[in-house]
Amino acid sequence: MNYLFNPDNWEWLITGNNLRFILEGLAVNLEIAIIAMVLSLLVGLALALLRLVRLTPVSVVAGVWVDVWRNLPLIFIILYLALSMPGSWRNAYEDAIPGWFPEGLQSGRVLAAILGLVLYNSAVLAEIMRAGILSLDRGQSEAARALGMSYRQSMRLVVLPQGLRRMVPATVSQLITLNKDTTLVSIVAIQEVMRHGRIVTGFNFFGGVTAPVLQVFVFIGLLFIAINLTLSRLSRRLEVRERRRTAGVKPVREVAEQAA
Amino acid sequence: MGDLISVLTDNLDEFLTGFWVTFRLVAFSFVIAMVVGTLVAALRIAPSAWLQRLGGVYVETFRNIPLLVLLFISFAGLRRAGVAIGPWEAGIASLGLYTAAYVAEALRSGIFSVSKGQIEAALSLGYTYRQTLRRVVFPQAFRTVISPLGSLIIAMIKNSAIIGVSLLALGDLLKTARVIGSRGFQNDEAFFWAALGYLLLTGAATVTVRALENRYAIRR
Repeated sequence: MNYLFNPDNWEWLITGNNLRFILEGLAVNLEIAIIAMVLSLLVGLALALLRLVRLTPVSVVAGVWVDVWRNLPLIFIILYLALSMPGSWRNAYEDAIPGWFPEGLQSGRVLAAILGLVLYNSAVLAEIMRAGILSLDRGQSEAARALGMSYRQSMRLVVLPQGLRRMVPATVSQLITLNKDTTLVSIVAIQEVMRHGRIVTGFNFFGGVTAPVLQVFVFIGLLFIAINLTLSRLSRRLEVRERRRTAGVKPVREVAEQAA
Repeated sequence: MGDLISVLTDNLDEFLTGFWVTFRLVAFSFVIAMVVGTLVAALRIAPSAWLQRLGGVYVETFRNIPLLVLLFISFAGLRRAGVAIGPWEAGIASLGLYTAAYVAEALRSGIFSVSKGQIEAALSLGYTYRQTLRRVVFPQAFRTVISPLGSLIIAMIKNSAIIGVSLLALGDLLKTARVIGSRGFQNDEAFFWAALGYLLLTGAATVTVRALENRYAIRR
């Protein structure tokens, strides 16, 4: 404990560019996380809908796809993609990425990392969304169809808004997991916060003050805790507001009883 | 195709060893996660605001920190600080303590799923506090907790792969696949068999949990 809190062991933090270097690494993690989140949510929704399609071959293939990717370790997927992805893909990515994108994302290795994160997380999110849609009372979609809505209309206007809203907490906790999992991309030599942390500890980096491994990674851990706590607080506040907004809507049963 | 089979048959011993290492990592970590998770859950429902807060801090800390960071702290960090900790201990402790936070949350929500009226009813029927817990609360809480605990075991199986590739360098299934793959330029084949191994483990866990759920489901 004395070792952990000894001010001498924390001096690196305020020396030279160490702090800035670590935060720059963290920025790469956050950029990768945001891209992977957006793509995973979109692909996940598509997979969930495909799994619910009534055409059996389609839903079976989507189901197997989801079950395979969601049951493999994420680090396994990332490592495999990084080792076996054809060089031409990497080059195509480096050519295609616009110049104004952050520098950390310009390297072709990032493609394997983002692809791995999206393959895994879209499968997990698809399962969450499907559960949300299935948990909805069947009467909802039946009523929508009875009112003359097409399948697409009933999905878009009735089923999805309710089903997905129910799964907001589970989705947010998966996105927090995704945020933590961006540290795994350090395995494929992307220069992000874990790599930067190791560089800081490796030798007397900036300023000539030794940075102990323990303190550096405790600090990085605290950064993640702060970000993820903010994320979950934010979502909880959104939830409360959302509930207040929809609180005025009477359940159908109540309206029906009053009308009778 | 012949290659695919021969990679497995030629390296069967190594694959089995890797599989066994992964299995043991998960088994030991699960014991730690259950013990610590139960203690933290007990803290969170304790009749003291301070103890509750302590449990809360544990959960929020270990749930929001990346497992890889924990591994760096517990192995490289502690060793540099002069604590003699081996890769096994560091790996199991990290995965166990990390999962314990999720276990605590699952147990807590399981206990809260038993309605207060039931506890009051049991007490008013003359049950003691312990009898109420043992005969009314725990049997019902156990049922609601089976499925989240099952998903946690599956998550542990997947997370155990992080231990092997990070600096701990334990020879688990993923590490084995990597070694075999790079030795004979047979990455695809080696990773295929490792994937099968992981799917076997997660699949077995899924089937077991589903069977338990059916066995103990509350008939309504």
